[in-house]
Amino acid sequence: MSFFRKKGLFVLLLGIILLVVLVGYSLSGRSQITLPEQFVKDTVGWTQKIVNAPVKFVTNTISNIGEITDTFKENRILKEKVSEYKGLVYEVQELKKENKDMRKLVDKTNSIRDYKPIQAAVISRSPERWVEQITINKGKQDGVKENMAVITAEGMVGKIQTAAQFSSSVQLLSGFDQFNRISAKISRKKGKDVYGMIEGYDEENKMLTFRIIEESEKGIKEGEPVFSSGLGGMFPAGLPIGKVKEVKPDQYGLTETALIEPAANLYDLSDVIVVDRSLETDNVTEEGTDQ
Amino acid sequence: MNRIYLPLILFVVVVLEGVALNLLPSFVVMGKTFIVPHWALIILLYYALFYDRQDTYYSVIYAGIFGLLIDIVYTSVLGVYMFSYALVIFLIHSIRNRFHGNLYAVMLLGILGIGLADGIISIVYALVGLSNMSWQTYLLHRLLPTELANLLFLLVAYPLLAARLQRWQNELPGHTSI
Repeated sequence: MSFFRKKGLFVLLLGIILLVVLVGYSLSGRSQITLPEQFVKDTVGWTQKIVNAPVKFVTNTISNIGEITDTFKENRILKEKVSEYKGLVYEVQELKKENKDMRKLVDKTNSIRDYKPIQAAVISRSPERWVEQITINKGKQDGVKENMAVITAEGMVGKIQTAAQFSSSVQLLSGFDQFNRISAKISRKKGKDVYGMIEGYDEENKMLTFRIIEESEKGIKEGEPVFSSGLGGMFPAGLPIGKVKEVKPDQYGLTETALIEPAANLYDLSDVIVVDRSLETDNVTEEGTDQ
Repeated sequence: MNRIYLPLILFVVVVLEGVALNLLPSFVVMGKTFIVPHWALIILLYYALFYDRQDTYYSVIYAGIFGLLIDIVYTSVLGVYMFSYALVIFLIHSIRNRFHGNLYAVMLLGILGIGLADGIISIVYALVGLSNMSWQTYLLHRLLPTELANLLFLLVAYPLLAARLQRWQNELPGHTSI
């Protein structure tokens, strides 16, 4: 009894020191998490998988009931779209084949566009809202590694922050800062692409900030799509990131910054795809790594 | 036997915190208000008030362990939840004699505890650079909704936990009737 009472101040001081040490350690830019951490993450992740099943069932049922009312109208529109796609599929197949043949001709077998998808389900979202992080049910055993891009059908949602053996944490785009940049571009005709970096997330507007590196005379318009460029070394090229919403000069007036509306919904996530870039990367990257 | 229940309840609650946001409608999550579940802290508060005696510190120890668990699983910054939960539960433990063990006292201590814990967490995150919110928006958009949502959980937990924990307290080793 007297230990805590008399030494309360001492314990508090010890606690503060421990806090500083632990925070410093976890922010020191480590790319791997320790084994005990992996173990804890996997244990909790395993329980979450069990808990998540009924929760998902309930939320799905509720949203399904809401959707049934629009089904008839949607069905008609979708049928029209499907017939359009049929034509497209043939075209794409032709193009793919042609592309392959062309690559063979120039002896270039794999490009930075290729990737291997790893399907994963979201099992939890961090309750701490400063930290934009979700947990998925695939880990190192499934081939997931740190800094891989994570996408949905609509577009990019984030990157793998840490990977445990059977689960991993994903940092969402909304949690990106200047230490987690994405090399991105706006595609134009014939080498007139606009290159830049996604440098962070604007909390107020709920948009990504895209700093344009090249000269800014090219007149970026609202609604132009932004893709990853693959030049950062970690992510493959051509992943859709978002659409330009607004362009404004930065604080010194030297470069321009565009606000990008993310293509994917970062809040309603249930199934994601982890992107394993086929082309081996060298160690010198600026993308994803926390310097 | 009931010693196993205490960490088990906390573990289940920590796991549930991760799916809590999925249950809320998406406009709440997408909007400007930040609701953070501090359910583990509320359970720990009940442990401190109803299970622990003056000379036992189970709640403080559990606060440290499960705070670290939350840090590992949900945030990538270690130590923040561990420190704030342990400190808040320790403070509550040391002033608990001045309150009766009724619902109003629990609510008051709950409001104070959640406010203090969330305040410490936000200050540390602001220092580290994870959050950048002015304190007015913090008070209005984060602290207030968080307090209200957690108070709801506290009220639900009271009939389930309070009497049961007191019963378990009587089975603590070295117990002499009060």
